[in-house]
Amino acid sequence: MKDFDFKETFLNPIFKGNPISVLVLGICSSLAVTVQLKGACVMALSVTIVTALSSLVASLLRNTIPNRIRIIVQLVVVALMVILVDQVLKAYVYSVSKTLSVYIGLIITNCIVMGRIEAFALGNKPFASLMDGLGNGIGYGLILVIVAFFRELLGSGTLFGFRVIPESFYELGYMNNGLMILPPMALILLGCIIWIQRSVQKELQEK
Amino acid sequence: MADYISLFVKSIFVDNMIFAYFLGMCSYLAVSKNVKTANGLGVAVVFVLLVTLPINYLLNEYLLKPGALKWLGDNYAGLDLSFLSFIVFIAVIAAIVQIVEMVVEKFAPALYSQLGIFLPLIAVNCAILGGSLFMQERDFANVGEAATYALGSGIGWWLAIIALAAIREKMAYSHVPAPLKGLGITFITVGLMGIAFMTFMGIQL
Amino acid sequence: MNTNSNTYTVIYSTVLVVVVAAVLAFAAMALKPMQDENIKKETITQVLTAAAQSDSEVNISEDTDVMAMYVDKINDAFYVDGNGNRKGQMNMGKEDVNAIQVATTSDLKKQNDIIKKIEAGQADLLQSLELPVYILDINGKEITVIPCYGAGLWGPIWGYLAVEKDGKTLAGAVFDHKSETPGLGAKITEDFFEGQFPGKVFGDGEEKFAVVKGGAKGAANGVDAISGATITSQSLGKTINTWATYYEPYLTKAAAKVSEETEAVAESTEDEANEIVEE
Repeated sequence: MKDFDFKETFLNPIFKGNPISVLVLGICSSLAVTVQLKGACVMALSVTIVTALSSLVASLLRNTIPNRIRIIVQLVVVALMVILVDQVLKAYVYSVSKTLSVYIGLIITNCIVMGRIEAFALGNKPFASLMDGLGNGIGYGLILVIVAFFRELLGSGTLFGFRVIPESFYELGYMNNGLMILPPMALILLGCIIWIQRSVQKELQEK
Repeated sequence: MADYISLFVKSIFVDNMIFAYFLGMCSYLAVSKNVKTANGLGVAVVFVLLVTLPINYLLNEYLLKPGALKWLGDNYAGLDLSFLSFIVFIAVIAAIVQIVEMVVEKFAPALYSQLGIFLPLIAVNCAILGGSLFMQERDFANVGEAATYALGSGIGWWLAIIALAAIREKMAYSHVPAPLKGLGITFITVGLMGIAFMTFMGIQL
Repeated sequence: MNTNSNTYTVIYSTVLVVVVAAVLAFAAMALKPMQDENIKKETITQVLTAAAQSDSEVNISEDTDVMAMYVDKINDAFYVDGNGNRKGQMNMGKEDVNAIQVATTSDLKKQNDIIKKIEAGQADLLQSLELPVYILDINGKEITVIPCYGAGLWGPIWGYLAVEKDGKTLAGAVFDHKSETPGLGAKITEDFFEGQFPGKVFGDGEEKFAVVKGGAKGAANGVDAISGATITSQSLGKTINTWATYYEPYLTKAAAKVSEETEAVAESTEDEANEIVEE
């Protein structure tokens, strides 16, 4: 087992090896909650917590898991974390949990969580796995928040529900871009983020 | 009957799993490089959805939702096991996928050689779990509606992946800006397809 | 230890399942009271918001202590059956805020199931209905709030209608839904739609209320549907219509009582009576 390199494990997934824009993991469900920044932030936080904690637990259990039922055990660990997060959200931020509806449950099948357990946590020490999970969760959340920022700003003229585009703009004829609120725009924005990232980091470009 | 048709068409076009809810995106992007494999995965998704959704519906109806245990006697009527739904659903899905894989391998080897490699992938496909969770949230009236919804959204997913695969096959010959190549342009394509699908929103049944 | 043996696998999965179930059950039990509280609070907020539309001075925002406000404004809260007879009292929380009882959406769902059976011909179930009624005092004006609950396009939709003393005129309405399409059916929760309701009057005949496509054309018992959300709009109209029908016996009785009282007052002092009529 190689030595634990904090910078490598924690920071790499946030930028260079970002799970969404580079590894294409876990785009699934969560884009649907990027209409508003608030929902996206809660979602980002939930994914980070679930990824970090299930990586930690899976890493603690890594030497005991029977190989044959490995996937099921991983699913159970992830599902456990997701249910806990869901219950806590319902108890403390009810209105947000209502807008996230089924998407919290879908974190279970978010490839990022299972992917990190399978690829990292099962072969590394608990603390390293926790950091890897945290890093990936944050890298993932970052993309969600960026997408949500633009969608809410351009689509509703607000951020976190507060109006940021002044009334006078509207009087001059400025209009909210209704298209931004619609689901497909999340994908197009994501395409643009990848475009920018790959223009800067040329080594990521596909042939 | 009209309800079923309406639900069916709506779940294919209007509430398409990919374009409206982004369900099953990982495998959607990963396996859409050519039409043939895309077709295989699409069929497998339809199949698994159609099997798991009614089962999960019954579980939800008679085990999980508040008051669902009434059939055991009045003492159990107040129990609410809905906090277990995620774990039960995913366990059912994982188990069914496993069983389906074994059955298909034994009785339909030809089908197995087509679907085989996709089946394990499907256990963690959000579209399958998503189907069950939406089913729970939408509170369908009976198993028939749940099955119709499963069939409709499965076909919607299938259509979406074949369409994307066909576009990507053609796109291989076009000049895409280097940073956009591969993933970037695929996202934008899916976005545009989504906008096109939104025109179905107006259909009335 | 051989982690691949059958015995080990079986024992391992058993232990795992037990541990996971225990953790989940514990978490669910510990958080349940807070979750229930949130659901209750939401119901109370919606009841208050519907009632408060009759008076622009009463504002409800996210920071409002709705529980305290509810205790302050509520005059009476009880259940009625389908014949308009009073059945049971709800705790209004006058002594203890935490004891407030309201009919949450799951209670409304149960009533809706009974209503469906009645519609299917089991008229004897009318007595077993337990429809909640909230009577609030909004700055001296008595407002009755009644709920409605039904199926929308994808999932349940529900709402609260604030009715004035005459048992017919609407003073306000609040709607909510579980999973209508964002941007279309989900618009029933928006102000522009809800704002159409104050001043509308329940009809006398079969059709108490309707949400009409292409404009209600100023009809007293209808509002405009949301364009692009035909099914949600129609279902909402149907839901309001159905629930209004089952509340009618109670509302008529209550209104009759009010007018009797008004007449009694009218006999004693004519001037005051005129003022009341003008109001």
